[in-house]
Amino acid sequence: MSAIIAVLRAGPLTTIQDEGRFGMLRHGVSASGPMDLAAFHHAGCGGRGGIEITAAGLEFRVASGDCRIGFAGGEFKITIEGKPAQWPGSAELTAGTVVSITPGPSGNYGYVRFDADMAIEPVMGSIATNSRARIGGIAGRPLQVGDVVELTGQSTALPGLPPPAPVDGPLRIVWGLHADLFAPEIREKFVASPFVVSSRLDRMGVRLDDSQALFAHSTALSLVSDAIVPGDIQILGDGSPIVLMRDHQPTGGYPRIATLITADLGRFAQMRPGTVIAFRPVTVEHAQQLLRSRQS
Amino acid sequence: MIGSNLYNSAPVPTLVPLGDSALLVRFGTALSNPANSAAIALASALHRDPPAGVLEIMPNLVSVLLRYDPDVTRAVALAGELRLRMAAVDGAAIAGKHWAIPVLFDGPDLAEVAETLGMSEAAFIAAHNQASLRVLSTGFAPGFVYCGLHAPELVLPRRAALRQSITAGSVLFAAGQTAIISTDMPTGWHVIGHTEFRNFDANATPPTRLRAGDLVQFETAP
Repeated sequence: MSAIIAVLRAGPLTTIQDEGRFGMLRHGVSASGPMDLAAFHHAGCGGRGGIEITAAGLEFRVASGDCRIGFAGGEFKITIEGKPAQWPGSAELTAGTVVSITPGPSGNYGYVRFDADMAIEPVMGSIATNSRARIGGIAGRPLQVGDVVELTGQSTALPGLPPPAPVDGPLRIVWGLHADLFAPEIREKFVASPFVVSSRLDRMGVRLDDSQALFAHSTALSLVSDAIVPGDIQILGDGSPIVLMRDHQPTGGYPRIATLITADLGRFAQMRPGTVIAFRPVTVEHAQQLLRSRQS
Repeated sequence: MIGSNLYNSAPVPTLVPLGDSALLVRFGTALSNPANSAAIALASALHRDPPAGVLEIMPNLVSVLLRYDPDVTRAVALAGELRLRMAAVDGAAIAGKHWAIPVLFDGPDLAEVAETLGMSEAAFIAAHNQASLRVLSTGFAPGFVYCGLHAPELVLPRRAALRQSITAGSVLFAAGQTAIISTDMPTGWHVIGHTEFRNFDANATPPTRLRAGDLVQFETAP
Protein backbone atom coordinates (compact mmCIF):
# COMPACT_ATOMS: atom_id res chain seq x y z
CA MET A 1 0.00 0.00 0.00
CA SER A 2 1.23 3.46 -0.74
CA ALA A 3 -0.11 6.94 -0.97
CA ILE A 4 0.97 10.45 -1.82
CA ILE A 5 0.15 13.34 0.49
CA ALA A 6 0.09 16.87 -0.94
CA VAL A 7 0.35 19.79 1.48
CA LEU A 8 -2.30 22.47 0.79
CA ARG A 9 -1.63 24.69 3.82
CA ALA A 10 1.04 24.56 6.51
CA GLY A 11 1.92 26.89 9.36
CA PRO A 12 5.47 28.24 9.39
CA LEU A 13 6.68 25.74 12.00
CA THR A 14 5.06 22.56 10.69
CA THR A 15 7.80 19.93 10.62
CA ILE A 16 8.39 16.29 9.86
CA GLN A 17 9.60 14.45 12.98
CA ASP A 18 10.49 10.96 14.08
CA GLU A 19 11.60 9.86 17.56
CA GLY A 20 14.81 11.84 17.13
CA ARG A 21 18.36 11.88 15.81
CA PHE A 22 20.28 10.53 18.78
CA GLY A 23 24.01 10.13 19.14
CA MET A 24 25.02 13.20 17.15
CA LEU A 25 25.75 15.71 19.93
CA ARG A 26 29.51 15.65 19.38
CA HIS A 27 28.91 16.56 15.75
CA GLY A 28 26.97 19.59 16.96
CA VAL A 29 23.47 18.32 16.28
CA SER A 30 20.85 17.87 19.00
CA ALA A 31 18.29 15.08 18.72
CA SER A 32 15.14 17.03 17.77
CA GLY A 33 12.08 14.75 17.72
CA PRO A 34 8.52 15.53 18.84
CA MET A 35 8.01 18.43 21.24
CA ASP A 36 5.35 16.23 22.92
CA LEU A 37 6.65 12.68 22.58
CA ALA A 38 3.70 11.08 24.41
CA ALA A 39 1.28 12.75 21.98
CA PHE A 40 3.37 11.53 19.03
CA HIS A 41 3.04 7.98 20.38
CA HIS A 42 -0.63 8.49 21.21
CA ALA A 43 -1.34 9.33 17.56
CA GLY A 44 -0.49 5.73 16.70
CA CYS A 45 -0.14 4.31 13.17
CA GLY A 46 3.29 2.74 13.19
CA GLY A 47 4.79 4.20 10.02
CA ARG A 48 8.12 5.99 10.33
CA GLY A 49 7.77 9.68 11.02
CA GLY A 50 4.88 12.02 11.44
CA ILE A 51 3.93 15.64 10.93
CA GLU A 52 4.18 18.00 13.88
CA ILE A 53 1.51 20.66 13.57
CA THR A 54 1.68 24.01 15.34
CA ALA A 55 -1.06 26.46 16.24
CA ALA A 56 -1.14 27.53 12.60
CA GLY A 57 -2.65 24.20 11.51
CA LEU A 58 -2.31 22.02 8.42
CA GLU A 59 -4.32 21.04 5.37
CA PHE A 60 -3.44 18.21 3.03
CA ARG A 61 -4.96 16.11 0.30
CA VAL A 62 -4.38 12.47 -0.48
CA ALA A 63 -3.13 12.95 -4.05
CA SER A 64 -3.18 9.22 -4.76
CA GLY A 65 -3.54 5.88 -3.03
CA ASP A 66 -5.09 5.37 0.36
CA CYS A 67 -3.85 5.30 3.91
CA ARG A 68 -4.86 5.32 7.52
CA ILE A 69 -3.94 8.28 9.73
CA GLY A 70 -3.83 8.74 13.48
CA PHE A 71 -3.85 12.15 15.13
CA ALA A 72 -3.31 13.42 18.66
CA GLY A 73 -1.69 16.15 20.75
CA GLY A 74 -3.27 19.22 22.28
CA GLU A 75 -6.85 19.97 21.28
CA PHE A 76 -7.03 20.68 17.57
CA LYS A 77 -10.05 20.71 15.27
CA ILE A 78 -9.98 18.29 12.37
CA THR A 79 -12.28 17.95 9.39
CA ILE A 80 -12.12 15.15 6.84
CA GLU A 81 -13.79 16.10 3.55
CA GLY A 82 -15.36 18.96 5.45
CA LYS A 83 -16.87 16.75 8.14
CA PRO A 84 -15.69 17.31 11.72
CA ALA A 85 -14.04 14.31 13.37
CA GLN A 86 -13.05 13.57 16.94
CA TRP A 87 -9.56 14.72 18.06
CA PRO A 88 -7.60 12.61 18.97
CA GLY A 89 -8.62 9.83 16.63
CA SER A 90 -7.90 8.00 13.43
CA ALA A 91 -9.38 7.73 9.96
CA GLU A 92 -9.15 5.80 6.69
CA LEU A 93 -8.38 8.12 3.79
CA THR A 94 -8.82 7.46 0.09
CA ALA A 95 -7.49 9.29 -2.95
CA GLY A 96 -8.76 12.84 -3.13
CA THR A 97 -9.64 13.18 0.56
CA VAL A 98 -8.84 16.58 2.05
CA VAL A 99 -7.91 16.79 5.73
CA SER A 100 -7.95 20.17 7.45
CA ILE A 101 -6.60 20.78 10.94
CA THR A 102 -7.04 24.08 12.77
CA PRO A 103 -6.19 25.15 16.30
CA GLY A 104 -8.56 24.30 19.12
CA PRO A 105 -8.90 25.52 22.68
CA SER A 106 -5.52 24.36 23.97
CA GLY A 107 -2.11 23.02 23.09
CA ASN A 108 0.69 24.07 20.78
CA TYR A 109 1.59 20.81 19.03
CA GLY A 110 -0.47 18.16 17.28
CA TYR A 111 0.67 15.10 15.34
CA VAL A 112 -0.53 13.31 12.25
CA ARG A 113 0.92 9.88 11.64
CA PHE A 114 0.41 7.28 8.94
CA ASP A 115 0.25 3.49 8.63
CA ALA A 116 3.14 3.59 6.14
CA ASP A 117 6.62 5.09 6.27
CA MET A 118 7.17 8.65 5.12
CA ALA A 119 9.54 8.24 2.16
CA ILE A 120 12.03 10.86 3.32
CA GLU A 121 15.77 10.21 3.00
CA PRO A 122 17.21 10.02 6.52
CA VAL A 123 20.00 12.47 7.32
CA MET A 124 22.44 11.28 9.98
CA GLY A 125 20.09 8.39 10.66
CA SER A 126 16.83 10.27 11.12
CA ILE A 127 14.14 12.14 9.22
CA ALA A 128 13.46 14.53 12.12
CA THR A 129 13.64 18.17 11.07
CA ASN A 130 16.20 20.09 13.12
CA SER A 131 15.35 23.78 12.85
CA ARG A 132 18.73 24.84 14.22
CA ALA A 133 20.99 22.65 12.05
CA ARG A 134 18.54 22.81 9.12
CA ILE A 135 18.68 19.12 8.38
CA GLY A 136 16.05 16.40 8.12
CA GLY A 137 12.48 16.54 6.82
CA ILE A 138 12.30 18.12 3.38
CA ALA A 139 15.58 19.98 2.75
CA GLY A 140 15.92 20.73 6.45
CA ARG A 141 13.00 23.17 6.44
CA PRO A 142 9.41 23.24 7.70
CA LEU A 143 6.69 21.90 5.42
CA GLN A 144 5.19 24.36 2.97
CA VAL A 145 2.39 24.55 0.45
CA GLY A 146 3.14 22.36 -2.55
CA ASP A 147 5.24 19.81 -0.68
CA VAL A 148 4.50 16.23 -1.56
CA VAL A 149 5.27 13.32 0.75
CA GLU A 150 5.16 9.75 -0.43
CA LEU A 151 4.13 6.97 1.92
CA THR A 152 5.68 3.60 1.26
CA GLY A 153 5.62 0.13 2.70
CA GLN A 154 3.13 -1.17 5.13
CA SER A 155 3.58 -1.06 8.82
CA THR A 156 1.30 -2.68 11.29
CA ALA A 157 -1.44 -0.13 11.78
CA LEU A 158 -0.61 0.22 15.44
CA PRO A 159 -3.28 1.69 17.63
CA GLY A 160 -2.11 4.76 19.47
CA LEU A 161 -0.59 4.36 22.87
CA PRO A 162 -2.97 5.50 25.56
CA PRO A 163 -2.37 9.09 26.56
CA PRO A 164 -0.55 9.56 29.85
CA ALA A 165 -2.83 10.37 32.74
CA PRO A 166 -3.30 14.12 32.81
CA VAL A 167 -1.04 15.84 35.31
CA ASP A 168 -1.76 19.19 36.89
CA GLY A 169 0.18 21.22 39.33
CA PRO A 170 3.69 22.55 39.28
CA LEU A 171 6.19 21.52 36.62
CA ARG A 172 8.74 19.29 38.24
CA ILE A 173 12.43 20.07 38.06
CA VAL A 174 15.69 18.67 39.28
CA TRP A 175 18.28 21.25 40.27
CA GLY A 176 20.59 22.14 37.40
CA LEU A 177 24.27 22.10 36.61
CA HIS A 178 24.84 25.58 38.02
CA ALA A 179 22.23 25.60 40.80
CA ASP A 180 24.98 26.09 43.38
CA LEU A 181 25.94 29.38 41.75
CA PHE A 182 22.55 30.87 42.63
CA ALA A 183 22.06 32.19 46.16
CA PRO A 184 19.78 30.01 48.34
CA GLU A 185 17.18 32.79 48.52
CA ILE A 186 17.08 33.01 44.72
CA ARG A 187 16.53 29.26 44.49
CA GLU A 188 13.79 29.46 47.11
CA LYS A 189 12.07 32.22 45.16
CA PHE A 190 12.50 30.28 41.92
CA VAL A 191 10.29 27.48 43.24
CA ALA A 192 7.93 29.81 45.11
CA SER A 193 7.23 32.27 42.28
CA PRO A 194 4.91 32.07 39.30
CA PHE A 195 6.38 32.45 35.81
CA VAL A 196 4.47 32.98 32.58
CA VAL A 197 5.03 31.23 29.26
CA SER A 198 5.94 34.05 26.87
CA SER A 199 5.10 34.32 23.19
CA ARG A 200 8.77 33.78 22.33
CA LEU A 201 8.72 30.03 21.91
CA ASP A 202 9.84 27.60 19.27
CA ARG A 203 11.43 24.17 18.97
CA MET A 204 14.72 25.50 20.36
CA GLY A 205 13.38 27.05 23.54
CA VAL A 206 10.57 28.72 25.44
CA ARG A 207 11.22 32.06 27.10
CA LEU A 208 9.50 32.71 30.39
CA ASP A 209 8.21 36.07 31.59
CA ASP A 210 9.34 36.76 35.08
CA SER A 211 7.38 39.69 36.51
CA GLN A 212 9.47 39.67 39.69
CA ALA A 213 12.69 40.03 37.69
CA LEU A 214 14.17 37.38 39.95
CA PHE A 215 17.41 37.16 38.03
CA ALA A 216 17.74 40.83 37.06
CA HIS A 217 20.57 41.35 39.50
CA SER A 218 22.37 38.07 38.91
CA THR A 219 25.98 38.78 38.19
CA ALA A 220 26.89 38.04 34.61
CA LEU A 221 28.94 34.92 35.06
CA SER A 222 31.64 33.73 32.76
CA LEU A 223 31.10 30.00 32.62
CA VAL A 224 32.89 27.32 30.69
CA SER A 225 30.61 26.02 27.95
CA ASP A 226 29.07 22.67 28.88
CA ALA A 227 26.57 20.05 27.67
CA ILE A 228 22.87 20.94 27.50
CA VAL A 229 19.93 18.53 27.78
CA PRO A 230 16.29 19.20 26.82
CA GLY A 231 14.46 20.85 29.68
CA ASP A 232 17.47 22.80 30.94
CA ILE A 233 16.36 26.17 32.31
CA GLN A 234 19.05 28.71 31.58
CA ILE A 235 19.21 32.32 32.63
CA LEU A 236 20.21 34.59 29.76
CA GLY A 237 22.47 37.62 30.13
CA ASP A 238 19.47 39.95 30.54
CA GLY A 239 18.11 37.82 33.39
CA SER A 240 15.32 36.14 31.43
CA PRO A 241 14.81 32.40 31.93
CA ILE A 242 14.50 30.15 28.89
CA VAL A 243 13.59 26.47 28.90
CA LEU A 244 15.63 24.70 26.22
CA MET A 245 13.62 22.29 24.09
CA ARG A 246 14.19 19.56 21.48
CA ASP A 247 16.22 21.63 18.99
CA HIS A 248 18.47 23.03 21.73
CA GLN A 249 22.07 23.88 21.05
CA PRO A 250 24.20 20.95 22.24
CA THR A 251 26.39 23.09 24.51
CA GLY A 252 26.07 26.48 26.12
CA GLY A 253 27.67 28.89 28.55
CA TYR A 254 24.74 30.53 30.32
CA PRO A 255 24.02 29.42 33.90
CA ARG A 256 21.38 26.73 34.25
CA ILE A 257 19.47 26.72 37.51
CA ALA A 258 17.31 23.64 36.95
CA THR A 259 16.19 21.00 34.44
CA LEU A 260 12.57 20.19 33.73
CA ILE A 261 12.07 16.44 34.20
CA THR A 262 11.50 14.32 31.10
CA ALA A 263 7.98 13.28 32.21
CA ASP A 264 6.88 16.95 32.22
CA LEU A 265 8.58 18.12 29.01
CA GLY A 266 5.63 17.38 26.70
CA ARG A 267 3.10 18.89 29.10
CA PHE A 268 5.20 22.06 29.24
CA ALA A 269 5.61 22.16 25.43
CA GLN A 270 1.81 22.24 25.07
CA MET A 271 1.40 25.30 27.32
CA ARG A 272 0.35 28.35 25.40
CA PRO A 273 1.74 31.87 25.86
CA GLY A 274 0.16 33.43 28.94
CA THR A 275 0.01 30.18 30.91
CA VAL A 276 1.07 30.75 34.51
CA ILE A 277 3.48 28.08 35.70
CA ALA A 278 5.33 27.14 38.86
CA PHE A 279 8.22 24.79 39.50
CA ARG A 280 8.62 22.11 42.14
CA PRO A 281 11.93 20.36 42.82
CA VAL A 282 12.02 16.56 42.90
CA THR A 283 14.88 14.09 43.14
CA VAL A 284 16.41 12.42 40.08
CA GLU A 285 15.13 9.08 41.42
CA HIS A 286 11.57 10.40 41.62
CA ALA A 287 11.80 11.83 38.10
CA GLN A 288 12.95 8.43 36.84
CA GLN A 289 10.09 6.64 38.64
CA LEU A 290 7.62 8.99 36.95
CA LEU A 291 9.22 8.23 33.60
CA ARG A 292 8.98 4.49 34.14
CA SER A 293 5.37 4.61 35.33
CA ARG A 294 4.42 6.58 32.21
CA GLN A 295 6.12 4.12 29.88
CA SER A 296 4.60 1.01 31.43
CA MET B 1 35.59 10.63 44.40
CA ILE B 2 38.81 8.93 43.53
CA GLY B 3 42.23 10.02 44.64
CA SER B 4 43.88 12.71 42.57
CA ASN B 5 47.18 10.82 42.70
CA LEU B 6 45.74 8.49 40.08
CA TYR B 7 45.41 11.44 37.75
CA ASN B 8 48.81 12.99 38.16
CA SER B 9 48.03 16.67 37.74
CA ALA B 10 44.47 16.20 36.53
CA PRO B 11 41.71 17.60 38.70
CA VAL B 12 39.44 15.39 40.76
CA PRO B 13 36.23 14.74 38.85
CA THR B 14 32.76 15.35 40.21
CA LEU B 15 29.65 13.57 38.96
CA VAL B 16 26.65 15.79 38.42
CA PRO B 17 23.21 14.69 37.21
CA LEU B 18 21.97 16.62 34.17
CA GLY B 19 18.21 16.14 34.27
CA ASP B 20 16.90 12.61 34.84
CA SER B 21 18.59 10.82 31.93
CA ALA B 22 22.16 12.11 31.83
CA LEU B 23 25.22 12.35 34.02
CA LEU B 24 28.07 14.81 33.65
CA VAL B 25 31.61 13.93 34.74
CA ARG B 26 33.19 17.31 35.39
CA PHE B 27 36.92 17.83 35.71
CA GLY B 28 36.65 21.48 36.65
CA THR B 29 34.59 24.62 36.32
CA ALA B 30 37.18 26.54 34.31
CA LEU B 31 39.01 25.62 31.13
CA SER B 32 42.51 24.22 31.67
CA ASN B 33 44.66 21.80 29.70
CA PRO B 34 44.63 19.09 32.41
CA ALA B 35 40.84 19.24 32.80
CA ASN B 36 40.35 19.14 29.03
CA SER B 37 42.78 16.24 28.56
CA ALA B 38 41.12 14.26 31.33
CA ALA B 39 37.68 14.76 29.73
CA ILE B 40 38.86 13.71 26.26
CA ALA B 41 40.73 10.67 27.61
CA LEU B 42 37.75 9.50 29.64
CA ALA B 43 35.36 9.96 26.71
CA SER B 44 37.54 7.93 24.36
CA ALA B 45 38.02 5.16 26.93
CA LEU B 46 34.25 5.00 27.45
CA HIS B 47 33.63 5.04 23.68
CA ARG B 48 35.74 1.90 23.30
CA ASP B 49 33.74 0.10 25.98
CA PRO B 50 30.51 1.89 26.90
CA PRO B 51 29.03 1.03 30.31
CA ALA B 52 25.66 -0.76 30.27
CA GLY B 53 22.72 1.54 29.65
CA VAL B 54 24.83 4.41 28.27
CA LEU B 55 23.32 5.74 25.04
CA GLU B 56 25.70 8.55 24.14
CA ILE B 57 29.09 9.84 25.25
CA MET B 58 30.08 13.41 24.45
CA PRO B 59 33.28 15.10 25.58
CA ASN B 60 32.97 18.82 26.34
CA LEU B 61 35.63 21.39 27.22
CA VAL B 62 36.08 20.15 30.81
CA SER B 63 33.50 17.38 31.16
CA VAL B 64 31.99 14.25 29.64
CA LEU B 65 28.25 13.90 29.11
CA LEU B 66 26.76 10.42 29.43
CA ARG B 67 23.18 10.05 28.28
CA TYR B 68 21.75 6.86 29.71
CA ASP B 69 18.56 4.86 29.77
CA PRO B 70 17.17 5.01 33.32
CA ASP B 71 15.33 1.74 32.63
CA VAL B 72 18.65 -0.06 32.16
CA THR B 73 20.92 1.59 34.68
CA ARG B 74 20.49 3.72 37.76
CA ALA B 75 22.45 6.91 38.28
CA VAL B 76 24.03 5.46 41.40
CA ALA B 77 25.16 2.27 39.64
CA LEU B 78 26.52 4.24 36.70
CA ALA B 79 28.40 6.62 38.97
CA GLY B 80 30.00 3.65 40.77
CA GLU B 81 31.03 2.09 37.47
CA LEU B 82 32.50 5.39 36.29
CA ARG B 83 34.57 5.85 39.44
CA LEU B 84 36.13 2.43 38.86
CA ARG B 85 36.78 3.15 35.19
CA MET B 86 38.26 6.57 35.79
CA ALA B 87 41.03 5.11 37.91
CA ALA B 88 42.39 3.41 34.80
CA VAL B 89 42.27 6.39 32.44
CA ASP B 90 45.48 8.20 31.58
CA GLY B 91 44.78 11.79 30.60
CA ALA B 92 48.19 12.17 28.99
CA ALA B 93 47.59 9.34 26.53
CA ILE B 94 45.36 10.93 23.90
CA ALA B 95 46.03 9.58 20.43
CA GLY B 96 44.57 12.19 18.10
CA LYS B 97 45.00 12.63 14.37
CA HIS B 98 47.19 15.42 12.99
CA TRP B 99 45.71 17.99 10.62
CA ALA B 100 47.18 20.93 8.71
CA ILE B 101 44.56 23.60 8.09
CA PRO B 102 45.33 26.52 5.75
CA VAL B 103 43.81 29.85 6.80
CA LEU B 104 43.59 33.09 4.87
CA PHE B 105 44.13 35.72 7.58
CA ASP B 106 41.80 38.37 6.17
CA GLY B 107 39.18 38.70 8.91
CA PRO B 108 37.60 42.04 9.83
CA ASP B 109 39.00 41.87 13.37
CA LEU B 110 42.57 40.86 12.52
CA ALA B 111 44.04 44.37 12.72
CA GLU B 112 42.34 45.12 16.03
CA VAL B 113 43.41 41.79 17.53
CA ALA B 114 47.05 42.34 16.57
CA GLU B 115 46.99 45.90 17.85
CA THR B 116 45.40 44.93 21.16
CA LEU B 117 48.06 42.28 21.65
CA GLY B 118 50.76 44.85 20.79
CA MET B 119 51.94 43.05 17.68
CA SER B 120 52.09 43.66 13.96
CA GLU B 121 49.63 41.58 11.96
CA ALA B 122 52.49 39.48 10.59
CA ALA B 123 53.85 38.85 14.09
CA PHE B 124 50.41 37.89 15.35
CA ILE B 125 49.88 35.43 12.48
CA ALA B 126 53.30 33.88 13.08
CA ALA B 127 52.59 33.56 16.81
CA HIS B 128 49.13 32.16 16.11
CA ASN B 129 50.50 29.47 13.79
CA GLN B 130 53.59 28.68 15.81
CA ALA B 131 52.39 25.69 17.83
CA SER B 132 49.92 22.93 16.99
CA LEU B 133 46.70 23.28 18.90
CA ARG B 134 44.51 20.55 20.29
CA VAL B 135 40.85 20.24 19.33
CA LEU B 136 39.53 20.99 22.82
CA SER B 137 35.91 20.31 22.06
CA THR B 138 33.26 20.03 19.39
CA GLY B 139 29.49 20.13 19.49
CA PHE B 140 28.50 23.78 20.02
CA ALA B 141 27.10 23.84 16.48
CA PRO B 142 27.38 21.45 13.50
CA GLY B 143 31.10 20.95 12.83
CA PHE B 144 32.15 23.69 15.25
CA VAL B 145 35.58 23.16 16.86
CA TYR B 146 37.41 24.91 19.67
CA CYS B 147 41.20 24.64 19.33
CA GLY B 148 43.69 25.66 21.99
CA LEU B 149 45.09 26.65 24.24
CA HIS B 150 47.24 29.49 22.94
CA ALA B 151 50.14 30.83 24.97
CA PRO B 152 49.14 33.39 27.65
CA GLU B 153 50.40 36.34 25.54
CA LEU B 154 47.76 35.50 22.91
CA VAL B 155 44.80 35.46 25.28
CA LEU B 156 42.13 38.04 24.48
CA PRO B 157 38.54 38.33 25.70
CA ARG B 158 35.56 38.14 23.38
CA ARG B 159 34.24 41.24 21.62
CA ALA B 160 31.70 43.36 23.47
CA ALA B 161 29.30 43.28 20.52
CA LEU B 162 27.92 40.34 18.57
CA ARG B 163 28.50 40.07 14.83
CA GLN B 164 25.16 38.94 13.46
CA SER B 165 25.96 36.45 10.73
CA ILE B 166 29.39 35.05 10.14
CA THR B 167 29.77 32.65 7.23
CA ALA B 168 30.81 29.00 7.41
CA GLY B 169 34.58 28.60 7.21
CA SER B 170 35.27 31.68 9.32
CA VAL B 171 38.17 31.37 11.74
CA LEU B 172 37.46 32.90 15.14
CA PHE B 173 39.78 33.90 17.96
CA ALA B 174 39.10 34.60 21.66
CA ALA B 175 39.73 33.34 25.19
CA GLY B 176 43.01 31.64 24.27
CA GLN B 177 41.37 29.63 21.52
CA THR B 178 40.89 29.52 17.77
CA ALA B 179 37.54 28.22 16.53
CA ILE B 180 36.42 27.13 13.07
CA ILE B 181 32.75 27.37 12.20
CA SER B 182 31.10 25.15 9.62
CA THR B 183 27.66 26.77 9.55
CA ASP B 184 26.64 30.42 9.40
CA MET B 185 26.09 31.85 12.88
CA PRO B 186 26.29 34.98 15.02
CA THR B 187 29.44 35.30 17.13
CA GLY B 188 31.00 37.46 19.79
CA TRP B 189 34.45 36.16 18.91
CA HIS B 190 37.01 38.05 16.81
CA VAL B 191 36.91 37.01 13.16
CA ILE B 192 40.54 36.72 12.07
CA GLY B 193 40.28 34.83 8.79
CA HIS B 194 38.67 32.04 6.86
CA THR B 195 39.46 28.55 5.62
CA GLU B 196 38.27 26.29 2.85
CA PHE B 197 38.30 23.45 5.38
CA ARG B 198 34.77 22.31 6.14
CA ASN B 199 34.16 20.17 9.17
CA PHE B 200 30.52 19.29 8.59
CA ASP B 201 28.82 17.25 5.90
CA ALA B 202 25.46 15.87 6.99
CA ASN B 203 25.65 13.22 4.26
CA ALA B 204 29.07 11.90 5.29
CA THR B 205 29.71 9.19 7.89
CA PRO B 206 30.80 10.45 10.31
CA PRO B 207 29.46 13.94 9.54
CA THR B 208 32.46 15.71 11.06
CA ARG B 209 36.19 15.14 10.50
CA LEU B 210 37.86 16.68 13.53
CA ARG B 211 37.52 14.99 16.88
CA ALA B 212 38.30 16.25 20.35
CA GLY B 213 41.96 15.42 21.00
CA ASP B 214 43.11 15.80 17.38
CA LEU B 215 46.05 18.14 16.76
CA VAL B 216 45.66 21.05 14.35
CA GLN B 217 48.52 22.98 12.77
CA PHE B 218 47.19 26.23 11.33
CA GLU B 219 49.07 27.48 8.25
CA THR B 220 48.83 30.66 6.25
CA ALA B 221 47.01 29.85 3.01
CA PRO B 222 48.96 30.81 -0.10
